[in-house]
Amino acid sequence: MNTGLARSQLDRLLGKVLHRGTRLGSSIIALGLVLPMTWPGISSTMICTRIVTAGIALLIALPILRVILMLIVFVRERELRFSVIALLVLAIILAGSVLGIASA
Amino acid sequence: MHVGSVVWLLLVSIGASALGGALGMASGIFLVPLLTLFGRVDIHAAVAASIVSVIACSCGSAAPFLRSGLTNIRVAIVLEVATTLGALTGVLLAGTLSTQFLFGLFAAVLLVSASQMMTRRREISGEPDVFNPRDWATVLRLHSSYPDHALGRDVFYHVRRVPLGLALMYGAGLISALLGIGSGVLKIPAMDTALHLPIKVSTATSNFMIGVTAAASGVAYFARGDIDPAIAGPVALGSVVGALLGARFLMAMSGEKLRLFFVVVLVAVAVQMLLSALGIHLLGHLA
Repeated sequence: MNTGLARSQLDRLLGKVLHRGTRLGSSIIALGLVLPMTWPGISSTMICTRIVTAGIALLIALPILRVILMLIVFVRERELRFSVIALLVLAIILAGSVLGIASA
Repeated sequence: MHVGSVVWLLLVSIGASALGGALGMASGIFLVPLLTLFGRVDIHAAVAASIVSVIACSCGSAAPFLRSGLTNIRVAIVLEVATTLGALTGVLLAGTLSTQFLFGLFAAVLLVSASQMMTRRREISGEPDVFNPRDWATVLRLHSSYPDHALGRDVFYHVRRVPLGLALMYGAGLISALLGIGSGVLKIPAMDTALHLPIKVSTATSNFMIGVTAAASGVAYFARGDIDPAIAGPVALGSVVGALLGARFLMAMSGEKLRLFFVVVLVAVAVQMLLSALGIHLLGHLA
């Protein structure tokens, strides 16, 4: 049961990446929110807004990273159909960002 | 960013997410109503902020589901083609739809959630297995098994009617992007009735899919500049904290009375959203 083993490994890897990524993203947002409160003197609004934005961007990127990881595993297992499906999902997400920028 | 508004947004999203988590729902279902009805946040800004918190909650809770071996990753990625396409459609539509329409649609989804809470999910089974070896699920090898601890063995299951599942998922993705909700409330029945997945499998798989669906609309909203960090930052952080608290509550309490209470809450919020759609504010001016 080679594929079964690979599947449970993939499950664990995905779980770990998503869990740690969420923690990191939330911590970055917290940093960006707390910094101006504890340190009101500096004109840090711009920087702190950027820190918060970076945390948000990381959170949004996590599920996409997940699809990329799945794509890598599918390619390595020579699952052609599923590699194409994962690529298709990534292409749709990419199309969304292009459309978003275009209509900004 | 004002300290007051940051703290207010944090508290609101902790509350909304804890409530959603205790119900086994995504945070968005209470977040958007609270932000728009009490916070006077514009619904489009509230939806964009809520999408980020939906992603965070889905990713944060994915690990235990994945470890349990209940998630069907193959089914998830196939259905995600439909949910992300739906999400994209939703983002494109969102700008063109009126605030009134969105409030009305939200009210409808809340009522569907309430009615779903009233009726228990039942395992759909029975039908004799007549298989077409060329149907989608067989060709894509979607059939799988999951470990059942009560039985102490792996339970094998067949996946059915993938095209119907895809169509329903497109709709779920669309609603998710329009309203800033995980729309697990729409995904799970689609999996139960169309694909005939076992309940545990469809719950875990739906949770897994919510993140990617929301990321598709999240990326588009982000690129378009619709996500305001002053709102989305505290809301995402509060939701992650609230989801952790909600999971504790879920374990601590259960029962019929509680379910009834939540149904009343859902209906009350739905009525308020409907009134807002019609331009009548009963509570909105308090904040």
